[in-house]
Amino acid sequence: MFLSSDDAKAIADKVLAHSKADACTVQIQGGLDQSLRFARGGATTNLASAEANLRISSHIGGRIGSCSTSRFDDEAVAAAVARSEEIARMLPVDPDYVAPLGPQNYSFSNRYDEATANLRLDALATAAARVIEEGARIGVDTFGCATTARRFDAYATSAGLFAYDRRSEIDLSATARNRADAWSGWAGAHQFFADRLDADAIARVACAKGAHDATPVDLEPGAYTVVLEPEATTELAFWLIKTMEARAADEGRSFFARPGGGALLGAKLFDERLSLRVDPADPLAPEAAFGFDGVPQRARAFIENGAVTTLYRSRAWAQKTGAEAIPFVRNFVMSGGDVSIDDMVRSVRRGVLVTRLWYTNIVDRKSLLLTGLTRDGNFLIENGRIVAPMRNMRFNQRLGDLFANIKALGPTRRTWRAAGEGGAPAAPAMLVEGFNFSSKSSGI
Amino acid sequence: MAPAATPSTVETSCYRGRNAFSLNRALLYDLADIVLTAARRNGASYADVRIGETRREYAFAKDDRLENFDERASQGFGVRVLLDGCWGFYGARRLDPQSLRDGVERALENARAVKPIQFQPIALERLPAHEAEWIMPMGVDPFEVSASEKADLLLSIIASARDHGADFCSASLSATCEERFFANSLGSRIHQTRTRVAPNFQATAIDRASGRFATRDCLAPARGAGWDYVVGVGLIDEAAQAGAEARAKLDAKPVAPGDYDIVIDPTNLWLTIHETVGHSTELDRVLGWEANFAGTSFVKPHMLNELQFGSELMTIVADRAQPGALATIGFDDDGAPAEVAEFAIVEKGVFRNFQMALGQAHLIGLSHSNGCAYADSPTTFPIQRMPNISLKPNPGKCSFNDLINDVENGIYVVGAGSWSIDQQRDNFQFGGQLFYEIKNGKLGDLLRDGAYQGRTTQFWNSLSGLCDASAYHLDGTFTCGKAEPVQLAPVSHGSPPALFRNVRVLNTSDDA
Repeated sequence: MFLSSDDAKAIADKVLAHSKADACTVQIQGGLDQSLRFARGGATTNLASAEANLRISSHIGGRIGSCSTSRFDDEAVAAAVARSEEIARMLPVDPDYVAPLGPQNYSFSNRYDEATANLRLDALATAAARVIEEGARIGVDTFGCATTARRFDAYATSAGLFAYDRRSEIDLSATARNRADAWSGWAGAHQFFADRLDADAIARVACAKGAHDATPVDLEPGAYTVVLEPEATTELAFWLIKTMEARAADEGRSFFARPGGGALLGAKLFDERLSLRVDPADPLAPEAAFGFDGVPQRARAFIENGAVTTLYRSRAWAQKTGAEAIPFVRNFVMSGGDVSIDDMVRSVRRGVLVTRLWYTNIVDRKSLLLTGLTRDGNFLIENGRIVAPMRNMRFNQRLGDLFANIKALGPTRRTWRAAGEGGAPAAPAMLVEGFNFSSKSSGI
Repeated sequence: MAPAATPSTVETSCYRGRNAFSLNRALLYDLADIVLTAARRNGASYADVRIGETRREYAFAKDDRLENFDERASQGFGVRVLLDGCWGFYGARRLDPQSLRDGVERALENARAVKPIQFQPIALERLPAHEAEWIMPMGVDPFEVSASEKADLLLSIIASARDHGADFCSASLSATCEERFFANSLGSRIHQTRTRVAPNFQATAIDRASGRFATRDCLAPARGAGWDYVVGVGLIDEAAQAGAEARAKLDAKPVAPGDYDIVIDPTNLWLTIHETVGHSTELDRVLGWEANFAGTSFVKPHMLNELQFGSELMTIVADRAQPGALATIGFDDDGAPAEVAEFAIVEKGVFRNFQMALGQAHLIGLSHSNGCAYADSPTTFPIQRMPNISLKPNPGKCSFNDLINDVENGIYVVGAGSWSIDQQRDNFQFGGQLFYEIKNGKLGDLLRDGAYQGRTTQFWNSLSGLCDASAYHLDGTFTCGKAEPVQLAPVSHGSPPALFRNVRVLNTSDDA
């Protein structure tokens, strides 16, 4: 269920009028998601789902109780307010209690398009048809998913804050597998504006990558030079930024903890060319206007020219440490360069071109050792040329080492995320040496 | 079936616990009739509707703070129609008659929308109709327990861990109650309700001089159970042990990488069963329906009754009946009864059955699916999901000491750690919470920074020992992710401790 700013504010006002607590916050989220999946060139499942949730947090005597409901009628709202107050009274006093925010200034990005928001499933079927037709044309089986989302987020407090943000999203991702079921390729894109989604390009790239009939070669485990396409780079950068939490660093349980105590803020840990920035006004990957508790998202760098400049921080930890509260981010931009993927490949004597990664997971939080596998388009590079499709490999790679040894970067590109997840980061292709493949996989 | 006076909304006891159904049945029948009549009138050859309420509670504490306590109740419906061989689905968070009428229209519209790319019509087997009620047996309803009692438990768990060696500790409690009404155009009318709970904590110890740190996670599993399970599982004692073990891990010997005989505790093996056997034998993956996201499988239809998945000791069964298990229920989300979900996936090492949802069996020449559908909300499309999938214990006598008795140089792995597996469910790597040496048949020192790597059938064919039923343990998760958009399913996996020969073990630390 999609609500306008006025409708959301009316509900928030109704909640705040019911509240008998010392303070109260109201979070309302919802929208309409539509998706369509296809496999082996034909439709499988689809859905349209209208979601809505109202979360009320009552603050009583330094305690916070929360109650959520999908019903917005008067009776349900009153019951939820009363229940949140009942919960708050039963809880222990929070020693680090933080009162709700008052009015804030937000930087709003342009992430909403009425035409995209009003798309129906037939538009997704049309996008899927492009992939299916291209697959049929060049003789590969096609699989994929197309999704649109129309979402809103509202946040209000008894201290006078009302924040509202909305977005429209569309994504298309496609996998192409050869008819022997022995090789696969993938491509995908996410946009806030449907007219920026190039379904034909996604179809072409996925099908071209999947159209290899040669038997893939096996590579022995070891350290290799790799060219990571932007999707793969994004996944690695996402894990890096996800672990940049101030409290864990301050408490000594993080890669970003300074031996002996404190966080490694200001330390130059990475290659000079690495910067990770967030900005609600960024044209490529605009972040939402606000994060948790209504805290504004601002233009800031988490890593600037290889140095750690920002760690995200909850309001309670910020208050306790006298530092600024920094919300977690979903849309970040990794700085790029001007080296094309073709030029990167030309510079490699022996290595691997990696399309994307799969099932990545942190193995060791101190060293940021990450494991995972390559997927949907590994190619062996020899003497500056792609010479063969290559079977997938598992890697075990320390992210600190990886981002400290960047050899080349391509132009930063917006990458894929499923619509409904709040956006997508932007990252470049990246050439690195010494990437540690630890075992072979037969998974195609 | 409609009552004389029909209420205009579904009344619920939104914020109170229950051990029975709370949704207004008369209205549910009326709403179902609205949907099924409209679907039939508009040409749908099949239709079903799920109406329900899900209640969740989540409490989280870290060190001396209760950081979050949230109760959530959400209602909704989902209409699925089959029109001219095309599925159409629409779900929403409203339960008034007009919303369901609109829902049918949108579901039909969606079915028409996909017609241009529906080259192979969806075909369904005819499931028998059922009129039934199923309520999960439960002791104390967790939603009836006060917030203060839950907060006290979390803070006591944390204090216990910190008193015994942890520098930091976080703890959480999750509870979910699903109440569902299912009706289809074949005549089924099914009410079901079930509750599940998941206690959790993580103890962290730090060596400030070296900057190293170690964690030890809770080993108490999520269960289909009530508050009595949470209270009785011994969380405070376990937290004390975890605090001490997190501290001990800092000074433990690093694992020496190499090939070992490993004995895997059920607290770790459940996840390996889940990833390597559970997912690889899902027919929708095999058919390619998950190729774009969750992946396909190394298992193919021609391997039925042929593939030597594991050693003769390996018998893996599916069920929806184990008491306390997370996928235990009377009927799946296609309306298939639990009895059809009782089957062997692997029998004495040989692959015997895929898991299937409605409309899949005929694609590999079989007549009927086997009760493996689940939708994580009434507003989402039901897809093939796992029932409980478990490794049968040794039918003969075998204690833990018997199991490790002939292990000369091995490692005992306890608790689930970092996990990863390829998209065809072949190459995997799993960490753990605790690793112990096994030397000459005896359990030895604590080790740190271990993980094991393998290939699925090679690994299961190296299974060479199993404990008997006295060591059987049921574990599981609330959050198995699959599909686009991602759906989260609860599922349990039971096993005894098991011995695998010549498994590759890694050292994951800085000083490896």
